Amino acid sequence: MKSLRKFLAVLMALTLCLTLFGGAFAEEEPSGSQVLRYGTDTWPAGYDPHTISAIAATRVFNQVYETLIGFNRDMTYRGILAESWETPDDVTYVFHLRQGVKFHNGREMTADDVVYSFQRILGQTEYGDIGALGSSDSYYGGIASVEALDEYTVQFVLEAPNAAFMSNLTSTYGAIVCREVVEENGGSLSAIDTMCGTGPFKYSESVVDNHITLVKNEDYWQEGAPILEGITYYLLADESARLAALRTGDIDLCSLSAMNLADVEGNDSIQVISYQSNNYTYLGFNLSNEALQDVRVRQAMSMAVDRDMIIDYVHNGEAAVSTFVAPNLGHWVWDAVNESPLYTYDVEAARALMEEAGYSDDNRLSLTMAAGLLDTIRDTAVVLQQQFREIYIDVEITNLESGEYVDIWGKMDTPEAGFDMMCGQNGSGTDPNRAVSFFFSTTGNANVWGYSNERVDELCQLAVSTTDEAEREAYYMEAQQIIIEESPNLFFASPMEYLFASSALRGYEPYAADASIFTEAYFVR
Amino acid sequence: MKSFLETLRKLWADPMGKIGMIGVFLLIAMAIFAPMLAPYPYDQIGMRFQPPSGEHIFGTDEFGRDIFSRVLYGARVSIQVGVIAVGIGAVCGYLLGLVAGYFEGVVDRVIMCVMDVLFAFPSILLAIFISAVLGKGIGPTMVAIGIVNIPVFCRTVRAAVISAKGLEYVQNAKSVGVKTWPILVHHISPNVVAPFTVQVTLALSGAILTEATLSFLGMGIQPPSPSWGSMLSEARSDMTRAPWMALFPLLFIVVTILVFNILGDSLRDVLDPKLKV
Amino acid sequence: MKNYIIRRILQLIPVLLGISIAIFAVLRMIPGGFASGMLGIDATPELIEQVNARYGLDQPVITQYLNWIGGVLRGDFGQSFRSGAEILPEILTRFQVTAELTILAAVISWVIALPLGILAAVKRNKLVDRVVRVVALLGVSVPGFALSILIILVLSLAFNYYPPLNYVSLFEDPLRNLEIMFLPALILGASMAGSVMRMTRSSVLEVLRQDFIKTVRAKGASERVAIFKHALRNAMIPIITLIGMQMGSLLGGAVVVEQIFSLPGLGQMTLTGINNRDYPVVQGCVLFIAFIYVIVNLIVDLLYAYIDPRISYD
Repeated sequence: MKSLRKFLAVLMALTLCLTLFGGAFAEEEPSGSQVLRYGTDTWPAGYDPHTISAIAATRVFNQVYETLIGFNRDMTYRGILAESWETPDDVTYVFHLRQGVKFHNGREMTADDVVYSFQRILGQTEYGDIGALGSSDSYYGGIASVEALDEYTVQFVLEAPNAAFMSNLTSTYGAIVCREVVEENGGSLSAIDTMCGTGPFKYSESVVDNHITLVKNEDYWQEGAPILEGITYYLLADESARLAALRTGDIDLCSLSAMNLADVEGNDSIQVISYQSNNYTYLGFNLSNEALQDVRVRQAMSMAVDRDMIIDYVHNGEAAVSTFVAPNLGHWVWDAVNESPLYTYDVEAARALMEEAGYSDDNRLSLTMAAGLLDTIRDTAVVLQQQFREIYIDVEITNLESGEYVDIWGKMDTPEAGFDMMCGQNGSGTDPNRAVSFFFSTTGNANVWGYSNERVDELCQLAVSTTDEAEREAYYMEAQQIIIEESPNLFFASPMEYLFASSALRGYEPYAADASIFTEAYFVR
Repeated sequence: MKSFLETLRKLWADPMGKIGMIGVFLLIAMAIFAPMLAPYPYDQIGMRFQPPSGEHIFGTDEFGRDIFSRVLYGARVSIQVGVIAVGIGAVCGYLLGLVAGYFEGVVDRVIMCVMDVLFAFPSILLAIFISAVLGKGIGPTMVAIGIVNIPVFCRTVRAAVISAKGLEYVQNAKSVGVKTWPILVHHISPNVVAPFTVQVTLALSGAILTEATLSFLGMGIQPPSPSWGSMLSEARSDMTRAPWMALFPLLFIVVTILVFNILGDSLRDVLDPKLKV
Repeated sequence: MKNYIIRRILQLIPVLLGISIAIFAVLRMIPGGFASGMLGIDATPELIEQVNARYGLDQPVITQYLNWIGGVLRGDFGQSFRSGAEILPEILTRFQVTAELTILAAVISWVIALPLGILAAVKRNKLVDRVVRVVALLGVSVPGFALSILIILVLSLAFNYYPPLNYVSLFEDPLRNLEIMFLPALILGASMAGSVMRMTRSSVLEVLRQDFIKTVRAKGASERVAIFKHALRNAMIPIITLIGMQMGSLLGGAVVVEQIFSLPGLGQMTLTGINNRDYPVVQGCVLFIAFIYVIVNLIVDLLYAYIDPRISYD
């Protein structure tokens, strides 16, 4: 528990510093061009907020579309399109909408639009479930009804208490869209020029696979925001190209891996903005493999991994040891580092466990590992391969592309997958419900490993049907303890996210729950 | 055999040929003796980003692996992929091209139609498609690059056969009633050797490049097997911090392709059938 | 001649059909379907079924193929699974970028390679020949992606220069467009120049030794006339073959260069399509690229017939 507290203390200190500096800078007046040029690594796969959650896409349409509520830096809720809300009972949520908010086509947003948006998400419009495939189930499946009580009040009634409901509303999957725009486009919002929301920036023009231009929404509801005149996203798929363009001042902001930190050190025109992500790296076991069904083998592997080495070698020292509930989730996190012996790097103990399971230098275990999709994952796989060699395990690595990754991911509880293990990165989300039950309850959509533990299922059920925080915390703590003990997956590190920016950029302070907040940003060029 | 030795002797007499022969010989030796020459295992993790020094003459990479050892083993991978892929492409392409060019007519049309289908895919796309279907690793990569190479050889050989057929002496042989296959073997094959050899060298360098590009795009050889191509793409995010990570593999790619090309160029002059006339 | 052209055009039909079948089949053999790619980790077997049903992927492959090719024959390439956009207009827009890049690259390579190749052949085995050859070979030996990154790095570090990011077409702003296109075209052109130079040299050498050149010389024509009039004309055949073949590899090489320089071309579109498993997009792109390639090849063959009267076209 100690290291966690320390981590949180450091986090708070950093936040304080940032705020102080932010305050100091705020005295400077915006000057020079106020257009933010953003170098993005992937072209968005589509622009329908109800179907796509990939970062490349949300980065763009988060500026255009807004949700009812969002997360503050301290993980409390803040109103966006909703000004306030109340929960008369544990299945009813009433939201009072901000008045005078206008869509980019000039019409005022009302409760009808909120109702229509959720009907679309739930597949209840005349277009059926076209809009929201894949997301409806895992995010809003438990909504019994959505109703407009008056022009500015919306009421949600759930089928059963769901403690994760509020947190799900902050997802861009819950964006409020404009009814007539949906209808004009035959139900589809996937084309870029259909983007019409209430956000601080509106769509202007684009050249596919080259750039997207958003311009300031002059009618934005928040007083004095945004300060920027516009945001232009440039596709720069290659990391070194992004860094070069940032150096020459052709772009103002881009994401880069920690490996580039040394390159910009001492460069006064570039600042590094970083925050702890909600993601964690993992190694999942295909439990249809008999050798891996032996819990001793999995535990031995956990002890054979030097997590600090992964952090040093793969993340350049810029990551925190993590379980499947990333350190960012604060009080929800069970402190495995200090509580679980499986988190102590101990090759001797690991080897002893392997010997107990019947392995030795003459009887080594051969396993195949799929690795995807990030460079950091591929590097993690290489370190793991080295470390497992010490405990009689030989690993053969294959790097996967995105299509293959998802396909194999879905089969990881069968021999058909073709791999015994998969190394990857997952997100803990913003609520332990997603981190725990989505990935490890027997019926969890993302439990692809064939892992099943009755007590874990029971705990997940209990935790989601109460809104008492202390009670939920206790349930999730126990579930985490069981899952880490049984190690259906191993967990390694929660990386920092890095944004490299022009030092002229001010007022942009991203955090894991909201990395694309540009309403306060401006330039002093 | 005699003509082979003769060719080698002539190659040696040409300064460019000499450079090419020595270069290729050294590369092959490097590939064969890599396990003996390498000071460290190619996947041994150690101190990261060490600049070249007495201990690590090419420096170390982001895992602290010895780049010199990796480059040596990389020669194995690159040359193996290059030679086998081109072997597959050349043998299949040669036979198909010879048959198509000599017979023309329906046989030609069918063969060339299939070749056109294969060839109409840009080579790197075709390689991406084939390796996506076959899977990754050395084997599939070799087959993929091999298939990509078939149409090039087929066309080169066919074009050469067709233009050789127009030559007087071949026409003469035919008109005095010499049978088809002997003509093919005795008169046309020597005519085809020159452009074919040029094509082999082009294809060898092309295969090594394609392998590097596949690795750059995240396909091809899998870690921790070292291939110059994948070493180069791994080095991309460390270009300014550890330029040696990119420099040495790149140097070896360029030098390898260069010596193969120089050898091929010289071979072409030496093998030219008309020099004997 | 007219009959020959008609026959050649008819011969294209089986090739294009073959390509359409090949790409259709290959795409479906690649592991990782469209549905799982779109759904990501939210995918469940039921959801995958739903997505497949929506996009007609649950029908027998033959039916899917016939539906698609039927549309293509009517000029309808269908819509992108991902964006819902019409594919053919998109391809045509993208093709302008790739075509411009390819033609520029080809022109650059010829400008460099043809004179050098002839020079090397005429000065065979002299120092000039060796220098030219080694330089040209160096151009072929550097991987395009490494060269691209190296050039970007050097220009940004040493000259604080990065090519303009905002793509504009040649018609909107020719100067800016050429500034954007210059580096990628130069890189592609350099990689191609080496082989054009080698082929030129080889061919000129070959022709120089052929009997009729000797005859021309004997008749007293000056050496220079002999080289340029006769040698070059005969040497054109393999050069044209090479150019025909290299249009294909240029289109492919464009895939990597377009990605690094963020050019909105056909290669980039195909690659994104493959990553998204957006079948109709990839099918459309590949068929279109193949079509262009086949047409270029047809022109090459017709040029053969025109340049070398010895090839009969019966």
